[in-house]
Amino acid sequence: MQNALVPVNADNLHDELIQLVSFNLDQEEYGVDVLKVREIIRMPIVTRVPNTPNYVEGVINLRGKVVPIICMRKKFGLSEAENDKQTRIMVMDMDGELMGFIVDAVSEVIRISGSDIQPSPAMVAGNIDQECIAGVINQAERLLVLLNLEKMFSRDEKNLFTGM
Amino acid sequence: MPPIDCEDQELLDGFLAETTELLEKLDDDLITLEKSSDDTDLMNRIFRSIHTIKGASSFLGFDLLVKVTHKTEDVLNRLRKGELLVTPSIMDVILEATDLVKLLVGDIKAGDIQERETEGTINKLLPLLTETVTAPQPPAEVETSPEQSPIAPQPENSDSSTPAATETDSAPAAPAATPLPVPKPASDAAPKKAPAPPKPADGKGDDLSDNTTVRVDVKRLDDLMNQVGELVLERNRMIQINQDLQQNDANRPDFHEEFGKLTKRMSFVTSELQMQVLKMRMIPVEKVFKKFPRIVRSMSRDLGKEVDLQIVGEETELDRSVVDEIGDPLIHLIRNAMDHGLETPEERLEAGKSRCGTLVLAAIHEGNQIIISMKDDGRGIDTERVGRKAIEKGLITEEQFAAMGQREVFDLLFLPGFSTKEKTTDLSGRGVGMDVVKTNIKKLNGLIEIKSTKGLGSEFILRLPLTLAIIQSLLVEVEGEIYSIPLSSVLETLRVDQRQFHLIGGQEVLKLRDIVLPLIRLQKIFNVQQRGEADNFCYVVVVGAAEKRMGLVVTRLVGQQEVAIKSLGNYLANIPGIAGSTILGDGRVALIIDPVAMSEVCE
Repeated sequence: MQNALVPVNADNLHDELIQLVSFNLDQEEYGVDVLKVREIIRMPIVTRVPNTPNYVEGVINLRGKVVPIICMRKKFGLSEAENDKQTRIMVMDMDGELMGFIVDAVSEVIRISGSDIQPSPAMVAGNIDQECIAGVINQAERLLVLLNLEKMFSRDEKNLFTGM
Repeated sequence: MPPIDCEDQELLDGFLAETTELLEKLDDDLITLEKSSDDTDLMNRIFRSIHTIKGASSFLGFDLLVKVTHKTEDVLNRLRKGELLVTPSIMDVILEATDLVKLLVGDIKAGDIQERETEGTINKLLPLLTETVTAPQPPAEVETSPEQSPIAPQPENSDSSTPAATETDSAPAAPAATPLPVPKPASDAAPKKAPAPPKPADGKGDDLSDNTTVRVDVKRLDDLMNQVGELVLERNRMIQINQDLQQNDANRPDFHEEFGKLTKRMSFVTSELQMQVLKMRMIPVEKVFKKFPRIVRSMSRDLGKEVDLQIVGEETELDRSVVDEIGDPLIHLIRNAMDHGLETPEERLEAGKSRCGTLVLAAIHEGNQIIISMKDDGRGIDTERVGRKAIEKGLITEEQFAAMGQREVFDLLFLPGFSTKEKTTDLSGRGVGMDVVKTNIKKLNGLIEIKSTKGLGSEFILRLPLTLAIIQSLLVEVEGEIYSIPLSSVLETLRVDQRQFHLIGGQEVLKLRDIVLPLIRLQKIFNVQQRGEADNFCYVVVVGAAEKRMGLVVTRLVGQQEVAIKSLGNYLANIPGIAGSTILGDGRVALIIDPVAMSEVCE
């Protein structure tokens, strides 16, 4: 399961169907592997955690489990927006640990075949780490950026996170 | 590494559990035996343990284990029949054999059986089997004569076996004393760590004890079941009340009363349940303590000191997680007491004390804490010398030392790299020990206190929380945000006018009776935004972390609450000053302050 996105890059497995959860962030549409998404919830009360990078919104109580919350907008360097009725937290399984990501809205689960995924263009706008973009899906009327969130925290950041 | 061809895993598990238990007890019994060698009951018990291990291992086909236990058993048998007398040297050999057995069992547990060098130990056992003279006087501990010298430069890890080897060889009466092949240094057997154990379960060092399974008293289990039954009843009652509410019967006059009653009963049952489960997690501290007689014995022989180790309150129970953590610090404290604290018999006589030093290791419950103290009647801590050494090492300046009270001087002991020893020995001098003590105790949210009188001895007192999973905490408010401080480290709280704060070198301090308390403003450290008017009055929570004391400045005290600790997960694991989090009654998350880390943050 961990490697569910790997076949994407392997040429011989082009036809495999994968399911993605698509969500919106500042007018753009993104997708993540459905198997990584544990649940999608509305914004609860978030407890601020001091001395963390600004994109760490805090922690929430998810039925007795304390889950860290990351603000995707801040993480990707996008303009900040007020939370509204559409705002959701996607709780994802990141290497065995739960983590929540605040997104503008979650739209649907889509099915695509591996062959629809194209490698991301070399010069994608600077703010999103190249690392975590697994590819781009270019369909008739939509453009969807496929993310691999486990790669989102570059090694340096992980250290910063745990070694502060 | 051939895999263990044991068809019945359950059988193997049973064997391992039993053997581990027997071995743990064996160590203790053997040491006791040395002191009271005429105790036949004890003797028989030891014999039976080894016999049981032998029987079980031969049944399961662990040949190496059988070989070692068989010979050990034979020697014990002769001791039992009185054909041999219990002498320290014989005990050394037997203890070495026990170590080897432990190592072999450890291998089996790790699932990879290796060819271990057992000959060395077995060869030491052999002469004891043929030796007919029950030497009335134990072989005097003479300096090694030249012929035995090749054994001397052994790797240091075979520590206790060195004297053993020489002495057995030197028993001239033994017919088998035809120059034995120089006993291979038992170095293969001595290092307790099996190379790269595949299971992560294999923790550190010589700990054979298995912490993955628990033995629980059936009575406790029954009680637990009872409590769960009651909880189910209360849940049904709750469902009932909820239904009534749905049907708009809430206006009934007795609704409030009913609900209040239910809440009370629920809270009663829950706290009972909590106690029960907590009790099951508890194990007697004996589990750790029982390693110590052995350590003290071998150290006193190495150091040429006479020590009487007294253990008090080994039946005191505490949480498994705590038990696992206190082993190391205690070993360091014992080492320190033996090496630095206690004097040699000659020095003791000169000082007008009895030859034999006493070391008292005591455990006792006090409220929600357990107190473990390690007391010796040695020479005590020489504050003058400690200070001198610290100045020498550049840790403090002359003026700083002059201004220090006794307590601050004792604190110097905990600095990493600090040691009063001129030379580094096997035992001490690297300045690591006390640092380990401090780190581990900190990890447990514990406190350390040192009492010492020069010439009369010292006492190290460790105060530890009973459990790590659920703690009593003090909830405080910092400009609207709620934080929780472990009550075990809270010493007192005060309401103070901020105008009473003083500034020393940019650090805010408070004069509290006779001490000067450094202050930490949580608001500043946690970057909390100011809300509303600043008030002149605020609260100071005086906390202690290991040997440090400081005051945390907060806006308001909310109250005391029992909270369950929740980890923040790997991603947020190491936020300075935050130990974890907990969930409050209203479902919100509150962060738990780590007083220890706090003190480092502000440094």
